[in-house]
Amino acid sequence: MLELSRVTKAYAGIPAIDAVDLTIRDDEYLTLLGPSGSGKSTLLRLIAGLDMADSGRISLDGDDITFRPTHLRNLGFVQQSYGLFPHMNVFDNVAFGLRYREIDPVTDDSEVTRRVRSILDLVGLGDLGGRMVGQLSGGQKQRVSLARTLVTEPKVCLLDEPLGALDANLRERMTVELRKIRETLGVTFMHVTGNEAEALAMGDRMIVLDRGRLLQVSDPDSVFRAPRNVGVARFVNAYNILEGEVSDGSFRYRDLRFPAHGAPSGRASYAIRHDAAEIHTDTAPPESHASLPATFVASEFLGSRFFYFLRLPDGTIFDVERHLSREDPRRIEAGTACTVSWDPASALVFDAQGARLGDDTLKGAA
Amino acid sequence: MQSNNLLRTILGAYTGLFILFLYGPFIVMGILSFQAGPEGGPQFPIIEWSTYWYQHVFGLTPPSRVAPLPIGEALLRSLTLAFATMVVSTVLGTLTAQGFRRNFRGSGFVFYLVVLGMMVPGVLLGLGMALVADQVGIDRTWWGTAFVLHVVYTFPFAFLVMLAIFNRFDKSVEEAAWALGVPPGRTFRKVTFPMIFPGVLSAMLFAFTLSYDEFPRTLFTAGSDVTMPIAIYGTFAVEIHPNIFAFGVLTTLFSFALLSVYGVLMTLSVRRAKTAAVQEEIA
Repeated sequence: MLELSRVTKAYAGIPAIDAVDLTIRDDEYLTLLGPSGSGKSTLLRLIAGLDMADSGRISLDGDDITFRPTHLRNLGFVQQSYGLFPHMNVFDNVAFGLRYREIDPVTDDSEVTRRVRSILDLVGLGDLGGRMVGQLSGGQKQRVSLARTLVTEPKVCLLDEPLGALDANLRERMTVELRKIRETLGVTFMHVTGNEAEALAMGDRMIVLDRGRLLQVSDPDSVFRAPRNVGVARFVNAYNILEGEVSDGSFRYRDLRFPAHGAPSGRASYAIRHDAAEIHTDTAPPESHASLPATFVASEFLGSRFFYFLRLPDGTIFDVERHLSREDPRRIEAGTACTVSWDPASALVFDAQGARLGDDTLKGAA
Repeated sequence: MQSNNLLRTILGAYTGLFILFLYGPFIVMGILSFQAGPEGGPQFPIIEWSTYWYQHVFGLTPPSRVAPLPIGEALLRSLTLAFATMVVSTVLGTLTAQGFRRNFRGSGFVFYLVVLGMMVPGVLLGLGMALVADQVGIDRTWWGTAFVLHVVYTFPFAFLVMLAIFNRFDKSVEEAAWALGVPPGRTFRKVTFPMIFPGVLSAMLFAFTLSYDEFPRTLFTAGSDVTMPIAIYGTFAVEIHPNIFAFGVLTTLFSFALLSVYGVLMTLSVRRAKTAAVQEEIA
């Protein structure tokens, strides 16, 4: 178990990681989602010991490792740029850690060979051991980099945007394989990504990081359905967010009012999930629904889903996602005036600080 | 189009002149080295083509009024000195450049301090060193005072070469090795050094050639046992015979041989990766 408590790191006075508390459990797949510049790579480097924290404490299974050098931490680190040794072949790259590490090096050549072979088989590179690194494709390099780390049996394996440099097809395949490999070995993965779909799909638990602070740590389903913060709602890229004000139990957006029961007055954000909204062209929206006038812009076909893009009077783009299993695709002329509506009970309201109202954890505190 | 042609002509003429000035003296020297001996002097016309002066350099000619070149021991000294300088400067240069990969406090100042060694006029440095040595009571020797100055002179070159190499070096490779549990020292030996080896070769070549024909610093500091450039200069004082030209041609050939070895080593270290990959493909 890896624990971070109040870990802080600043570069030239600007905080990159701000008092982060985090517990990474044994045998879990943890994804870390954050926009670029959120400090996600910095957090990974602090854990790996490639940068030192300004304050706070990092401990691994109870041992304080805050200032322990990288090579004594027994944590794996898979870089975005792979960092393979160009003067060695695949086998020697993978065997490197076993042969030359400080703690418990493997001196028996046949044992090294056995372990390297088995890990290369696991990542699907069984017959490429003799190949030089320069002769590999991007996906193969990625696997070598992973195998090289996993063969040393690290307590936690840190992956810095491991799928970032792969094309879409390969990315999808690696997504499945990474999960499979992790389950086979039972090692904890901490996977950093800027891609919300990747973070949601792969994690047993998910962390959302912004400006050096953890916004939410929970299972991907909760992050998606009940973001605790307006920032989280923005990063999962599944919500239309309207900025306005709450007064007398309703949210005011321009000259419209949507019910927002129990919300305190003041500036607020109002989020409608893409797939919770409906489009009406000639029919009126249901009585119980809240609604907005909009202009149709375009639609996008995504296999099982359709995305419709509408423009609100203030120029904001409003996304509506409909699943073909539930209704047929609709053909709407661009420029058609329509109405979008949603069940107000499904909408989320965030206060001026960005915290979600009606959040159980907050209710308890208040 | 017109100005393009003009530019081409100017650049062509410039290149021609450059090559002429670079190789002209050497070619003249090369031709005169085949002058007949021992009566032929260091000027045109060639009385008769012969290899007499080459034999003279190696002491294969019957004794004549022209004394043999006093270079046997001087050559050995120069080679030893150049080799020692090469080793020390390259090691120091590599380590210093490694140190400069981190921006430590005062790194800018230290940088100029190091590079100053190649800026200071050699004659002044040699003279100064000789004065200091006499004051302190140290004997001036080629392996002592001259050696120190050779290192001072060549170390900045080795350092700059290695600094350029480290500038392009991808740090993530080292970080990967540390994360695999390999300590920094071992990482340097097993990962960093093999990757910067072509740069180290260049630094070695620089240091060796600079030291081998170093003159002004050595002149004042080598003492009575002189190095080869000083020995050759010494023979000018009496009378110039074409045996010096013959010797010049031989040393130039030696330099070319050295460069070829460097070229071969370079190509090998670059090509090793490719060859291994191709063999794998065939197998």
